[in-house]
Amino acid sequence: MNEVKLTQLGIKDSRDLLNKKEISATELTNAYIQNIEESSKLNAFIEKTFDKALIQASKADKIIGTDSQKSLCGIPLGIKDLFCCKNVKTQAASDILENFIPPYESTVTQKLWNEQAIMLGKLNMDEFAMGSSNETSTYGPVINPWKSTDSHDSLTPGGSSGGSSAAVAANLCTGATGTDTGGSIRQPASFTGTVGLKPTYGRCSRWGIIAFASSFDQAGPITKNVTDSAIMLKAMSGFDPLDSTSAKIDVPDYEQELGKDIKGLRVGLAKEYSLRNGDSEAIRKLEEAIKILKNMGAEIVEVSLPHTEFALPTYYVLAPAEASSNLARYDGVRYGYRAKLDTNDSILELYEKTRSEGFGTEVKRRILIGTYVLSSGYYDAYYKRAQKVRSLIKNDFDEVFKKVDIILTPTTPTSAFPLGSKGTQDPVEMYMNDIFTVPANLAGLPALSLPVGLDELGLPLGVQLIGNNWQEPLLLNTAFNLENTLAFENNPKNWWA
Amino acid sequence: MDIDTETVLKIARLSRIKINEGESADIQKDLNRIVEFVKKLGEIDIDGIDEFNFGKTNIEDMRKDSVTIYDNTDDILKNTKNKNQDFFTVPKIVE
Repeated sequence: MNEVKLTQLGIKDSRDLLNKKEISATELTNAYIQNIEESSKLNAFIEKTFDKALIQASKADKIIGTDSQKSLCGIPLGIKDLFCCKNVKTQAASDILENFIPPYESTVTQKLWNEQAIMLGKLNMDEFAMGSSNETSTYGPVINPWKSTDSHDSLTPGGSSGGSSAAVAANLCTGATGTDTGGSIRQPASFTGTVGLKPTYGRCSRWGIIAFASSFDQAGPITKNVTDSAIMLKAMSGFDPLDSTSAKIDVPDYEQELGKDIKGLRVGLAKEYSLRNGDSEAIRKLEEAIKILKNMGAEIVEVSLPHTEFALPTYYVLAPAEASSNLARYDGVRYGYRAKLDTNDSILELYEKTRSEGFGTEVKRRILIGTYVLSSGYYDAYYKRAQKVRSLIKNDFDEVFKKVDIILTPTTPTSAFPLGSKGTQDPVEMYMNDIFTVPANLAGLPALSLPVGLDELGLPLGVQLIGNNWQEPLLLNTAFNLENTLAFENNPKNWWA
Repeated sequence: MDIDTETVLKIARLSRIKINEGESADIQKDLNRIVEFVKKLGEIDIDGIDEFNFGKTNIEDMRKDSVTIYDNTDDILKNTKNKNQDFFTVPKIVE
């Protein structure tokens, strides 16, 4: 390979070269291993599985070109640390799961291995996926490969899937898995110039993914481009008897849907999303996308989602409530961290000390607030009320999707911010990051972040497309059309190797 | 202020999280900030609105309620140092 390095290619282009036997899976895997070894400054990979990767690559090389070849044969991927992988240390970036080795594999990762993908290792993230900057990880924050043109500050890669977004942007893997509870795939994608897709709730099985807020959590891909997103989503999707909320409906061939004309597509612009930031870079990027869509014959329709301003408060009642219940299992008895006890300590002290020492500050904060809103006397005022407001937010979307096919919004209010600059005095300041992404999780809808270009600081910024349930093909095709015109190149200057 | 010191200690106890005196004030401040933020929900009229759900679960789609045996005890016990034979060990519960 000349000029373009092997590791810049992504999933589809690597697949094509592998199929033509111009490269081998072992060669490709070794190229990524080298990049990962040189990337310690980014802190993206927290567990490397190179021995496993090279065995998988060698197998792939024997299979390529035969009838046994599957869709991701020989494609090296990174896996967010929230996915349990059999015999691979999995901690959700938390001390409380210290040295936890799952005796089972998550459904989504198993599907990827069934398609003969290669596992390079586990990716850093916010502890239990609670955070928007990667700063709550017990491994320390991931550093965004992108830097502002006017400063050398280390920037956040976004969160919680910040290891995934940074690894894809820095060419440490062809693509990566992420999970998205309130924006944890899309916000990191926007901050790193990558494509992040949160599928419809129920599209991917949640089995074996360490639970944060079960009625919101959804797995999805972070990739270099839209085609790769389509390829990876197909491999990750499908009904699973082990997750009763996974949908028993067919998985389309998303890649086949790409390239269709979008003339006549009705694109909704929600006034509640656009005007909040007035004349910001995020709005300017949105306008660029609007212009392209108009040129392609799409019809732009102004719509209203009147309960948008209640989305974040609703989320910060419901998600912590679910988290407080899900995280009750970490008691120090059966796995993970156990606090050192004094001689006379009881079982209660075992629980309380273990959880106090094992969980980080943000996770404890969310467990406490979740416990509060579920506690006697407050349940109706907070939890039940929020569940009703969640219905109103979903109804808003149902009404809008009678008028339009897709909704276009900014993904994030700003581009990536410096580590340590947000939320240190006021936790709510960090929560505001998810202002545009949370509504899709509340309504269970699929949403995709697509890089539009660089802002005035030279940092990538994305737009978000939100679709109706199961409309991933339309989301991906619209994004594909936009991507072709935008021709955004994700090539942060390599300062880390 | 909605959450006083006593409430912080109560929810910490319910959450099984030990809170030291030194951190109690900061936690109280953060929790009150979050409560103040989510109080916005009180502004909406929710009369007659149903609680959110993803729709009806199709009973035919549920898997059979059948017993499966998982006996990889060794795999499970690999994740703890606190064991005795095939059991987890904890501080004495019964006097």
